[in-house]
Amino acid sequence: MTDSPAVAPVQPSAVVRAGRFITRNVLYVYTAFAILYLMLPVAVMALFSVNDPPGKSNVAWHGFSLDAWLNPFGVPGLLQVVETSVAVAFISTIVATALGTLIALALVRYNFRGSAATNTLIFLPMATPEIVLGASLLTLFVAIGQPPFFPTNFLTILIAHIMFNISYVVVTVRARLYGFDRHLEEAAMDLGANELTTFWKVTFPIILPGIMAAALLAFSLSIDDYVITSFTAGRTSTFPIFIWGSARIGVPVQVNVIGTAFFLIAVGFVAVTTVLQGRANRPPRPARRTDTAAQPAADRAFAPAPEA
Amino acid sequence: MGVRRWIVRLTPYLLLAPGMLWLFVFYVYPSVQMFISSFWSGTLETGFTFSFDNWTTYSDALERYQPQFLRSLVYGGAATIVCFLIAYPLAYTIAFRGGRYKNLLLFLVIAPFFTSFLLRTQSWKIILGDDGILFGPLKDLGFLPPEFRVLATPAAVVAGIAYNFLPFMTLPIYVSLEKIDVRLVEAAKDLYAGPWRPGGTIAGAVLGGLVGAVLGGALSYPILPLAVAGAILGLVIGTFLISESFLRVVLPLSLPGVFAGSLLTFIPAMGDFVNAELLGGSPQTRMIGNVIQSRFLDNNDYPTAAALSFILMAAILAMVAIYARILGTEELTSAR
Amino acid sequence: MSAADPEFTEETMSEQRRSPAAPAHSEITRRRFIQGTGLVGVTAFLTACGTSGTGTATSSPAATPGASGEPSVAPTDAAPQSPSAGLNFANWPLYIDTDDEDETKHKTLEDFTAMYGTVVEYSEVINDNEEFFGTIRPALQGGQDSGWDLVVLTDWMAARLIRLGWVETFDLANMPNKVANLQDVYKGVDFDPTDDHHAPWQSGMTGLGYDSAVTGDLSSLEALWTDDPRWTGKVTFLTEMRDTIGLTLLKLGKDPSQATEADADEAVAEIQTALDAGIIRAFTGNEYAEDMVAGNVVLAMAWSGDVIAKQAEKETLVWQLPDEGAMLWTDNMLIPKGAQNKYTAELFIDFVYDPAIAAQIAAWVNYVTPVKGAQEVLAAEDPDLAESPLIFPSDEVLSKVKIFKSLTEEEETYFNDEFSVVTGN
Repeated sequence: MTDSPAVAPVQPSAVVRAGRFITRNVLYVYTAFAILYLMLPVAVMALFSVNDPPGKSNVAWHGFSLDAWLNPFGVPGLLQVVETSVAVAFISTIVATALGTLIALALVRYNFRGSAATNTLIFLPMATPEIVLGASLLTLFVAIGQPPFFPTNFLTILIAHIMFNISYVVVTVRARLYGFDRHLEEAAMDLGANELTTFWKVTFPIILPGIMAAALLAFSLSIDDYVITSFTAGRTSTFPIFIWGSARIGVPVQVNVIGTAFFLIAVGFVAVTTVLQGRANRPPRPARRTDTAAQPAADRAFAPAPEA
Repeated sequence: MGVRRWIVRLTPYLLLAPGMLWLFVFYVYPSVQMFISSFWSGTLETGFTFSFDNWTTYSDALERYQPQFLRSLVYGGAATIVCFLIAYPLAYTIAFRGGRYKNLLLFLVIAPFFTSFLLRTQSWKIILGDDGILFGPLKDLGFLPPEFRVLATPAAVVAGIAYNFLPFMTLPIYVSLEKIDVRLVEAAKDLYAGPWRPGGTIAGAVLGGLVGAVLGGALSYPILPLAVAGAILGLVIGTFLISESFLRVVLPLSLPGVFAGSLLTFIPAMGDFVNAELLGGSPQTRMIGNVIQSRFLDNNDYPTAAALSFILMAAILAMVAIYARILGTEELTSAR
Repeated sequence: MSAADPEFTEETMSEQRRSPAAPAHSEITRRRFIQGTGLVGVTAFLTACGTSGTGTATSSPAATPGASGEPSVAPTDAAPQSPSAGLNFANWPLYIDTDDEDETKHKTLEDFTAMYGTVVEYSEVINDNEEFFGTIRPALQGGQDSGWDLVVLTDWMAARLIRLGWVETFDLANMPNKVANLQDVYKGVDFDPTDDHHAPWQSGMTGLGYDSAVTGDLSSLEALWTDDPRWTGKVTFLTEMRDTIGLTLLKLGKDPSQATEADADEAVAEIQTALDAGIIRAFTGNEYAEDMVAGNVVLAMAWSGDVIAKQAEKETLVWQLPDEGAMLWTDNMLIPKGAQNKYTAELFIDFVYDPAIAAQIAAWVNYVTPVKGAQEVLAAEDPDLAESPLIFPSDEVLSKVKIFKSLTEEEETYFNDEFSVVTGN
């Protein structure tokens, strides 16, 4: 066995080190820029919600003013459209989440004929451009030609929103269901619960986060939808339709206020739920034991003998 | 016992029934109805009559709106590529360098979605205004010629579409990057460590050149100088940042996510009309979505509009079918 | 999109391979394809059976085109004849006097409320005649209430609505002001000889609008076809076919009031040259006004009052009557068929024909008022405004403006088709 002489490690040259430094950090810089890029329009929207334009056009910065925030519904019709949007989003979320969850349960739990076709049918609305979805619904309502489906109104908007939300709910809940451990259900049934009880007491609470995620997704999709709504709204107006219409003559500052408010509410909601979930998932703190005499005798028997 | 088994057999169908019924009545049936209405002739006032002879509506529509169709394809494709170029490094960083902040970063990527996309697009219109916050000062300082503009050019429309669908591209790529076994990456790094190899440099140069050329074309600037400049820039970036191990291992493994993201971006991009209207507005940036919308809502020309919708749908379905054949719909829907 | 939480999908992928419920690979096999097609085929068969029914359903109300059909919704205030609580009024933007401090306040509407107690639901939703028509057409075609009590549409669109029988006939006894104060030049038009279907709201002119700080002073329509670096790519034309083709014909030295189909071809070709040269940025409805304030547009085919209204936000905006001439048009108040508040709408029409109210509106919108006596009222308060050629054009000005020819249905279709080729519609 010969001793191999120790070899001093080679110091990489300055250029190579610089290169490695850049390579390592450029991605971080890039990500920072990318996030900034994503948030830039949101920031501009928020900025222009505290603008003070002289006329109707809110396109250039004129000065800081909280007037719009103090009077957010000062524009005629804005309150009604926000109410309509929230109402549509709320109702369509509830209905779509219910229907979608049932479908997801069926798809994941059961092996039945037509499951592939069902899969495809669920997927298709997501793959269809919104304009085609809206146009085909409008064609349907025109062909019916009678109230309550025609002229298009609140009901038709609701129908459209529920329709496109179902697919997203199914996909979201299904993802959560896949990861669900069925042994828990089996254990519950071994302990004597029937299927319904098992579902309500065991399955449902566990998949609830997935359902809530799906509901949140459906709500945000519904409240922001413009294209499909524009085809099925008729004279009813929702918040996005209002924005579109006012974009031609000047988007009022209050619209920016409402938009920023929605953003802050949504972010706040997600933040709160994340914190709450984090708390719920935290493992319980181990009890502190300072008094060995208080330990049960059995424990002491197994405790390490005190140092002699 | 027989009844119980019967109930169990029926349960999936019962669970499916309400939702699927809804989809059937309000998705499948209207689509068929629209197909039928594309064979109508007449106007709202004179009434519509159905006839198979009206298949000419399709050929007329295709011929007349061929520029808009092509434009939708090109803009959609360009937006998808731009989206890919922006999203991939982002997803890579979050997946491999994210550490504890992964969820936070992902949240930041989705956060813009919490505001109305119309308002975000309107904000872009303000930012990209000819003398707006971005270009005004640049023009005053002499960096840009006074007649430079981005609004009402294809560049603005493509940029708007790419921005709107960035999360759709980032998340699937992130998901598939995340699933890559780290040991594979380490092994690749060991395997391909050593002197410089041309893979990254060439890839960078080619990409850079393409981006430069497209940018030139979109902004109506001379293509060749921009392509060369882009190629040089891409060359530098590629040499330093695109390693062989990345090209040979990570990239191929992430392809399912790339496919999923591309499809999720390209399909809605083709049918988009909001960006074309707000950021474009010129007849030379009109997409097929604008035409369908105006034919339906302004002219009430249901036959032509329905025919156009169907052609668009057919093109998209063909691509989706090819994709599904390659990878299966399960991958697509669960890779989101 | 919290859907793509990676934690879930990771489990998804591993569970997928274990769980028997999820097929590992959903191929589009031939069997499934046939199944799917069969499903669609059955649906198509059922639909086709139903369509002929709905086809006739949509066509039967139109079986008597042009006739004033029975409204399916009887006006609720026909018998009691008292003003209703609300009035749904659709109008163009910048078309009624607006409080400078608070854009939601319109003095004329407040005055109306003070007088009759009715709250006017004012919506500035009309940006383009065809576009607005597209929104009310399906309802009116089906014999249903369009949702509007009062709308304001340009001559040719008013003519079309009247021809289709989709407007209510005025009870002239309810509008003495209008009968007395309508200027003679507006009476007895060919599309409404009895003057009981429409009431002129304002007249206006289409000419050149520009930002004098950028373009300097312009006076000729040639500017719209000149490739000048100061404004190339920042020029807009109008989606209103009659305005754009009209001005183009004037530029070509032709008379829009005698426009023929051959003229249409020439005009469209001319517009195409400007488009190809990259001069035209867009074809717009009202949007150009906002873009002019933003600086994205510096030269436009513009409506007279719009530019004046935006001067408050950008002082350098100018409206100019071109050397070659300008287009004159009239927007008219109409009551769509089946309106819920017909009587109140008639009261409103009568209200705005009061010279004092007309002067109030005209002073703000800066358009040509059709009401006799408004000029005298204005002269007492604001003599400069009373001399404004925009509101009270002199004969000299009137000699330079043209009204677009009244087109027949065929001609209209031809002109529209030609024009839509160049606008990409």
